[in-house]
Amino acid sequence: MILRPLIFAAALALLPAAAQAHAMLDRAMPPVGSTVASSPKEIVLSFTEPVEPAFSSIEVRSEAGAAMQAGKASVGAKRTQLRVALKALPPGSYKVIWRVLSVDTHRTQGDFTFHVGP
Amino acid sequence: MRISLCAALAIIACLAAAALTPARAHEIVGNRFFPATLAIDDPGVNDELAFPTASWFKTGDDPSVKQRDISAEFSKRITEDFAISFSPTYSKIHAPGGPAMTGANGFQNLETTFKYRLYKNPEHEFVMSVGLNIEWGGSGAQDVGAERFSTYTPTLYFGKGFGDLPVAWVRPFAVTGQLGYAIPGSNSTTTFNPDSGDLDTEFHPRVLVWGGSLQYSLPYLKSAVVDLGLPDFVNRLIPIVEASLQTPVSNTITSGTVTTGTINPGVIYVADKYQIGVEAIVPINRQSGTGVGAIAQLHLFLDDIFPNSIGRPIFPGTLAGGRP
Repeated sequence: MILRPLIFAAALALLPAAAQAHAMLDRAMPPVGSTVASSPKEIVLSFTEPVEPAFSSIEVRSEAGAAMQAGKASVGAKRTQLRVALKALPPGSYKVIWRVLSVDTHRTQGDFTFHVGP
Repeated sequence: MRISLCAALAIIACLAAAALTPARAHEIVGNRFFPATLAIDDPGVNDELAFPTASWFKTGDDPSVKQRDISAEFSKRITEDFAISFSPTYSKIHAPGGPAMTGANGFQNLETTFKYRLYKNPEHEFVMSVGLNIEWGGSGAQDVGAERFSTYTPTLYFGKGFGDLPVAWVRPFAVTGQLGYAIPGSNSTTTFNPDSGDLDTEFHPRVLVWGGSLQYSLPYLKSAVVDLGLPDFVNRLIPIVEASLQTPVSNTITSGTVTTGTINPGVIYVADKYQIGVEAIVPINRQSGTGVGAIAQLHLFLDDIFPNSIGRPIFPGTLAGGRP
């Protein structure tokens, strides 16, 4: 009696396989919370869904609050990756702030830090 | 004898229903994803379908009886911040000490909740909503405890993530809470007691409905604190403890003022378009139940599954779809 509605609901969940969802951060390079030995050349964020480049951004701030990204963020061929070039980063902690609009108009945002140096 | 059995089952079911009101919504606030909780309602305002929610437990009556519930909840946003939800529950109650096929079964009263998101602060992962839950009297079966009168419960909901704290390992924690005041539409019910030949009067108390959840979000740990390289399945888990409590505060002549409720430890698996939650149901005292029960739920995020149809508000915001 309980299995039947469970199977029905599971089938319902699987039906619209082509639909989109909120774009959540899946992976980052440099990784979230990581320490890298030298300044990375860019930040690459991979999301769970394709994003709209015109309404998506990445900011990278130093501990003093200075903007460390060089230019605007762009998307890759799959449109699930958002990347931005970086200025040369001295040793320290950096905060990455991302805001994206998935292709079905869900807005999400988040932030994380990474560290440069030993 | 039949009347007294039905009456006993009705009281049992009523107490059980009060302890396990079906709930749920999910919410995204900045970095934070608040999952739909199973035992209490949360501050989320969204398009979603929780189906089924199945629970098994033993009631707090003496003698205790087994009860199984299957419920659903469909929530629809009217605007970006305002939603209406409908929640039917089907109960099967075993007779005390009787064979498995005896007892009662039927629908509880239909519940409708109107919820409005008052405030949302992504930077501090804070959200607050207000709502009004109405249990429609007479819409369910009296055999399983559905009352003939309606009950109105204005409620305040909140959620707060700890992402703005400086200690890294603490940041995945979050709490949610609810505080409601259940006002029955009738002060008392008088019934004939065939055993004593007297008229029995049961007073319907006004009840403080309160509770909360403490959750540790591994998705948050991975995406906002530190990516430990854990398996994807683990990175989608949110261990959680919920507390769902009721305290009669007035018109308590026959009900007493003892707080009843349950503590529910469990875990929620969050996929992109749905979540699955499983929790144990641990009564806080004898009046709340006996033994450990269980509750499980499949919850579909309609705003993600059908973003351009039933998953969007009827009157969307300024941004096409205007979603959070």
